[in-house]
Amino acid sequence: MNAVELRDGAVTRGATLIWRDATIDVATGSVSAILGPNGAGKSTLLYTLLGLVSLSEGSLHVLGRAPRRGDARVGYMPQTRREGDQHLSARDYVGLGFDGTHFGWRRTSKSAKEKAVRDALLVTGANAFASQPLRTLSGGQRQRVALAHAMVFRPDLLLLDEPLAALDIGAQAEIVDLINLIRHDTGATIIVVAHDLNPLAPIVDHVVWIARHQVRSGPIDDVVNEAVLSDLYGHPIEIIVTPRGRRVIVGLEEEFAHPHPHHQPRDHVHEEAHEHFAEFYRDQP
Amino acid sequence: MSLWFLLSLAFVQHAYYAVTFVAFAAGAVGYFVVLRRQAFAAHAIGHVGFAGAAGAVLLGLSPVVGLLGFCVGAGVLIGLGGARLDDRDAVVGVTLTAALGLGVLFISLYSGYADATYSILFGQILGVTWGAVALVATVSLVVLVALSFLYRPLLFVSVDPASAVARGLSERALSLAFLSLMALTTVVAIQIVGVLLVFSLLVAPAAAAEQVTNRPRRALLLSVAIALVSSWLGIFLGVWLGGPVSFWITALAASSYLGARIRAFWQTRGVAMGVA
Repeated sequence: MNAVELRDGAVTRGATLIWRDATIDVATGSVSAILGPNGAGKSTLLYTLLGLVSLSEGSLHVLGRAPRRGDARVGYMPQTRREGDQHLSARDYVGLGFDGTHFGWRRTSKSAKEKAVRDALLVTGANAFASQPLRTLSGGQRQRVALAHAMVFRPDLLLLDEPLAALDIGAQAEIVDLINLIRHDTGATIIVVAHDLNPLAPIVDHVVWIARHQVRSGPIDDVVNEAVLSDLYGHPIEIIVTPRGRRVIVGLEEEFAHPHPHHQPRDHVHEEAHEHFAEFYRDQP
Repeated sequence: MSLWFLLSLAFVQHAYYAVTFVAFAAGAVGYFVVLRRQAFAAHAIGHVGFAGAAGAVLLGLSPVVGLLGFCVGAGVLIGLGGARLDDRDAVVGVTLTAALGLGVLFISLYSGYADATYSILFGQILGVTWGAVALVATVSLVVLVALSFLYRPLLFVSVDPASAVARGLSERALSLAFLSLMALTTVVAIQIVGVLLVFSLLVAPAAAAEQVTNRPRRALLLSVAIALVSSWLGIFLGVWLGGPVSFWITALAASSYLGARIRAFWQTRGVAMGVA
């Protein structure tokens, strides 16, 4: 069974089409990358998997069922988080991933929680700074803690929104290794939204590329090739493979001229995230 | 008159009871005010309470009625209008000024001596009746029980709203519930320290505690402890040395924050020097 099965899906926001005709099969236990320019609707795809945004057309099954907000089998690491300036320790924050949704006075088993938190911190290599306040951690350390937070309850499907953003190349490579480790350690299916395929390429089984309201999905070479991308963007795209196997995509200079998040039109990114969030606030019961 | 005689007087005893309950509620709620960066909302709700109290006095009602109505109303309004962080400041600011304007109108319409208004602004801790103590106790208990029920989800949604919403929590509902609890706490805290000094119990102890520990539960308890000690000691100093009790409470709470900041500064300095 596939972890995600999307058939002819479309999402609209108000009268605006985000993407349509999306057919995606994500195999259980695989690592997928969602790629595409800013504002193409990469995060929106994650929101549909989380049950935060509904399809306007098509059908979607996540782990065999219709997506449902708060599904305890799905872990999520958002792109814009606010935990980074807080006083509480990384360990306490990860603990909230375990039992933060429980109302009331019934205590969850303390030993089960401690074990889950310790395991998550060990897997993500965040154990060394687990007692430090979040606000004292570096960007790379925060990503590790956020990963631990997203996987502490052992989800079957893990959705990561831009886990490599704002990291230097060394830290990116570490997080990529970590994602691979989590896949092997927990057997979870992992879907990663990213700007650049190259750092993820060694561990990715499957690519989803979104551009111009269209979605292409499949193994790396079936999607990231000149014919498919040229068709997707409507103009000729060339792909040069370097001796080390990295892909340089020519023809998207406009979109990828500033691959580092610092130089990207940040306001635009924020605006997009905001509109989506405003949308699912309205959808909340 | 001896100090012990003064401390045994009924109105001083009432003050001690009232302040104890208020410190528990304000210290605990204050932790989340600081965590959620909602000090401005806390400030605004207090001032809105002033307008409510002035309006109630004008109508010949007890100021507490106006306080309750306006504070909880403002809490709900800010919760509904300011779910998004970006809107929050504007919604709070508009609510605040609109209410203050109403307060000015009510006072100008009121022909009597604005004694009640003065006590709303600066608190009247040594004039607390048994009835007021009972109200303060009831409201504080309700707030504490509700807060302990909401504790984990509220902490989650305060620290990382995007994850919490994806995991099934409703940020809007939790925000609304919290602002209502904050409004109730403000109502009782106003009785003790007044509108202008509500911060001294609602923000300063929690802000100090947050500097000292990185464990949420411990910070919450420490915040309560600082609020308790500031209030108890504040009444004692007011009775012993004279001067408004509100002044002493505020001075002590602010000093605790200052102390915590100095401690944090020396600690980071120590770490920096240790590395070098």
